[in-house]
Amino acid sequence: WNVSLWGKRRAFTEHVEKLAELVKEKTGGEFTLNISYGGLSKNRENLDGISIGAFEMAQFCAGYHRDKNPTITVLELPFLGVNTLEEEVAVSKAVYNHPATKADLARWNAMLLMPSPMPQYNLVGTGKPPARLEDFKGMRIRATGGIGEAFKAIGAVPTSVTATEAYNAMESGVVDAVAFAQHAHLAFRTIELADWWTENLNPGTVNCPVVVNIDAYEALSPEHRAALDGSIDEALDHYLANYGKLLEKWDSILAEKNVQKVHIDEAEIARFREVAGPIQKKWIDDMTAQGLPGQELFDLVQETLKTARMSN
Amino acid sequence: MTQSRVRADNSLLSRIDRAVFRLESALNLAAGLVIFALVCLAVWNVLARKLLGMPVPGYVDWTEQFMATFAFLGIAYCQREGGHIRMDILVARLSGRGVWIFEFLSTLFMLVITTALIYGSWYHFQRSFSFSDPWWSRDSTIDVALPLWPSKLLVPFSLSLLWLRLALQLWGYGRAIARAEAEPVAVPLVEPPAEQAMHEAEVVVEAPGDARNG
Amino acid sequence: MPAMDSLVDMKALLAGVDPFDMALWLSGLLVILVLVGMRVAFAAAFVGFLGLCLFFMQRQGFDRGLVTAMKLAGQIPHSKSTTYALSLIPTFILIGYLAYYAGLTRYLFEAAKRWIGWVPGGLAVATVFATAGFAAVSGASVATSAVFARIAIPEMLREGYNKRFAAGVVAAGGTLASLIPPSAILVIYAIIVEQSVGKLLLAGFLPGAVSALIYAALITGLARLNPDLGPPVRGFTFRQRLAALPGTTPIILVIAIIIYSIYFGWATPTEAGALGAFIILLMALRKGMRWHQLRGALMETAKLTVMIFTMIWGVLIFVRYLGFAKLPDHFAAWIAGLDQPAHVTLLFILLAYVVLGMFMDAIGMLILTLPVTFPAVIALNGGPNVTAEASALGMSADECAIWFGIIVVKMAELCLITPPIGLNCFVVAGVAQDGRMPITVQDVFRGASPFFVADVVTVAVLILFPGIVLWLPGLL
Ligand code: NA
Ligand code: NA
Repeated sequence: WNVSLWGKRRAFTEHVEKLAELVKEKTGGEFTLNISYGGLSKNRENLDGISIGAFEMAQFCAGYHRDKNPTITVLELPFLGVNTLEEEVAVSKAVYNHPATKADLARWNAMLLMPSPMPQYNLVGTGKPPARLEDFKGMRIRATGGIGEAFKAIGAVPTSVTATEAYNAMESGVVDAVAFAQHAHLAFRTIELADWWTENLNPGTVNCPVVVNIDAYEALSPEHRAALDGSIDEALDHYLANYGKLLEKWDSILAEKNVQKVHIDEAEIARFREVAGPIQKKWIDDMTAQGLPGQELFDLVQETLKTARMSN
Repeated sequence: MTQSRVRADNSLLSRIDRAVFRLESALNLAAGLVIFALVCLAVWNVLARKLLGMPVPGYVDWTEQFMATFAFLGIAYCQREGGHIRMDILVARLSGRGVWIFEFLSTLFMLVITTALIYGSWYHFQRSFSFSDPWWSRDSTIDVALPLWPSKLLVPFSLSLLWLRLALQLWGYGRAIARAEAEPVAVPLVEPPAEQAMHEAEVVVEAPGDARNG
Repeated sequence: MPAMDSLVDMKALLAGVDPFDMALWLSGLLVILVLVGMRVAFAAAFVGFLGLCLFFMQRQGFDRGLVTAMKLAGQIPHSKSTTYALSLIPTFILIGYLAYYAGLTRYLFEAAKRWIGWVPGGLAVATVFATAGFAAVSGASVATSAVFARIAIPEMLREGYNKRFAAGVVAAGGTLASLIPPSAILVIYAIIVEQSVGKLLLAGFLPGAVSALIYAALITGLARLNPDLGPPVRGFTFRQRLAALPGTTPIILVIAIIIYSIYFGWATPTEAGALGAFIILLMALRKGMRWHQLRGALMETAKLTVMIFTMIWGVLIFVRYLGFAKLPDHFAAWIAGLDQPAHVTLLFILLAYVVLGMFMDAIGMLILTLPVTFPAVIALNGGPNVTAEASALGMSADECAIWFGIIVVKMAELCLITPPIGLNCFVVAGVAQDGRMPITVQDVFRGASPFFVADVVTVAVLILFPGIVLWLPGLL
């Protein structure tokens, strides 16, 4: 199989690397995943490539093209309340298994295999650290999808630059702050320019699943399919352990780069949540208008979160 | 404007050639105007960001979608004018029928790949288009969710016009082979590289003598 | 859809074929098609599509393989053309056309003549500095040579300069336009190898200046050895010199805007280019530019733009095929595994560029070769993650990517002044003959030959002191 990823090998791609290793091992080298970083497709067109049958496995982010995959954008809504990577895995899996989601992705001949869980997209920024919601007014923030909408609701200006342009944009003052997961603040070097990092704003995250081509999946021999299915959990465990190590180092990285940790007052965050509330409502209405079970998907996320917390 | 290097006469082929050329020129000018408009948009975006603190919403998305106009609209015009780069060191040395046979074959190859790309780019458009969705959009830009299908539709449209242009040129070359013409109509004539380079620099060099007063 | 083989059993036919061998054969086919005069963009797209067909037919059979290849190839034109950074290209082309109407060239030449004309070969040195200055608003080498052929050559001939020497200086001076930002070719390089456009543009600035200085040194040296080549021009008072300066301020303003905004991040490179174009446009309008002239400039800009974009996506269809066949990986591994010093291998790569450059157009040569040579040079240096200390060429992988861009663009510019196909030389001869000056193409090629040596020296300097390239972008 050919696998289309992008960028370089990083924490964000470790589960696919591990999956390739496990599958090869289990099938004695008969079934291999050839991972290509950007050689087979542009990242925003990985789903097109799957639909064409150009490659058999790919990774993409829901926010790159919300119209292609409306159902999974529920996972990118602001303030869902996801706190850990394990919770992110649980809610992603629940949404991926919903029949409406499956049908949505089947339009692209794609089957959702596993999530690439990322922590909350907190901000790094330059200048005076924000303390109250009013401090965000007029701040130019690089943020996409639901997170961008949330910042807009409190008077910030979400600005469109791609991840690779974020560094230049921040350095040049095109943006004052950038919303990324920790690994991306490192990979795209925004942390080098930062004066501060919001440790607990937790506005939401971005959902980037790994998918496979349905025809190719169904054409697999029973042994190969078992090898693939049976390796997913182990690959995800490896990913989580690896990301966990990165998060452990995070504090020392902040200290080394002389970046101030900003703790926003709980009351302020509650106000933020309240202002951003209508965004979730609007999402549900939009989905319902398109004939998709928006409310059901949203409730599914909330219930899964409750269950995940109880089992902990 | 540069002098076209295509001969004309009263034949049906030449009349079709010139009619299509008028359409091609209009589309190429439209592409030029979009380039101009995007320059203005970029200037406005900088000023609005610096002076008003309010950049144009979705500036990058708008720019990317409008790029499709100048990336494709002029493609047939460029072919008519012989503007797509090639190495004619060999063709320029041939004479008589030999030239037209070479030109016919390479144009035929171009027609083959253009046909394949019309199909492929049409599918690409189709994947982003759906009658049942809002704005007919099944795929949209990352920031302000502009539908992608209009700019994707430009590709098969422009390539179809190129297909027509290539078919006309095949006709022209075919006639030149059959009649052993030295200077056929409706096809760009092969020029020595020196003249070609001059054409490239024509706009700046052939401007009225204001440089001297300058 | 079930796999059907209606015409031929392609799966069986292609069963034993190694994708790598096939990629080599198809690369050979591409070279042949380009040599016999097929339009480069379409030759590359054609061979790339053929390769994709064979690749997918081998796996999916004839019918499905054909459809997959068509859908895949048909995705690339739109996908690659709507990339924000590429929107710089038409802006840079437009600036060049407008700069002429704004009358900037004559002011620059006049100022350079009054300030530097007194050295041996003074007018020729002035021409080099004026072309370097004009390079800061022009993204295209051929246009720069054309403009200065009309302004500088008559004046040099009047002062008794050797005609070959005068023509060669103008042909060579024009090549500076592609190194000094704005430069369309540097943007194309950045897109193909996925590097920061801003960094590459900044990186070109000092090497462009160094190149101009080496040209100037060569000219004074030659003129001192053989005073008949070109006498100095003296007799300008200080007041006359000062009087020549105000006319050059617009250019300095535009240079300042482009460099300053990229460097201090006031705007993205695209926005900076647009600001420059806008200022030049206002000046051109003030100089009396008319609608039909603006229309002509827009038509030409659009034509050149669509040519470049077609070339980019056409070649990228071929590159996408190579990606599936993994040819660049193999080639890079082979280069990195060679048992000889890295600099020797680099030398061979550069020699190949000199040979190619004799026959090919600069942009075409760059787009066709980079997909293979770029990963090879990165591998040669020690891989995509190597640090400066561990590398073979003494720079980190990211630095190497920027540095190689400047080297390879300099090599591509060389091809504009080497026979038998050297566009700058053709243009200079054409403009000269148009103005009834007795200069043949052979004269220009011979006059430009010393500058070939100067360019070799420049490249050697940039290889020995990569800091010249990397210092400015390193500050970003
Ligand atoms: Na330039
Ligand atoms: Na040459």
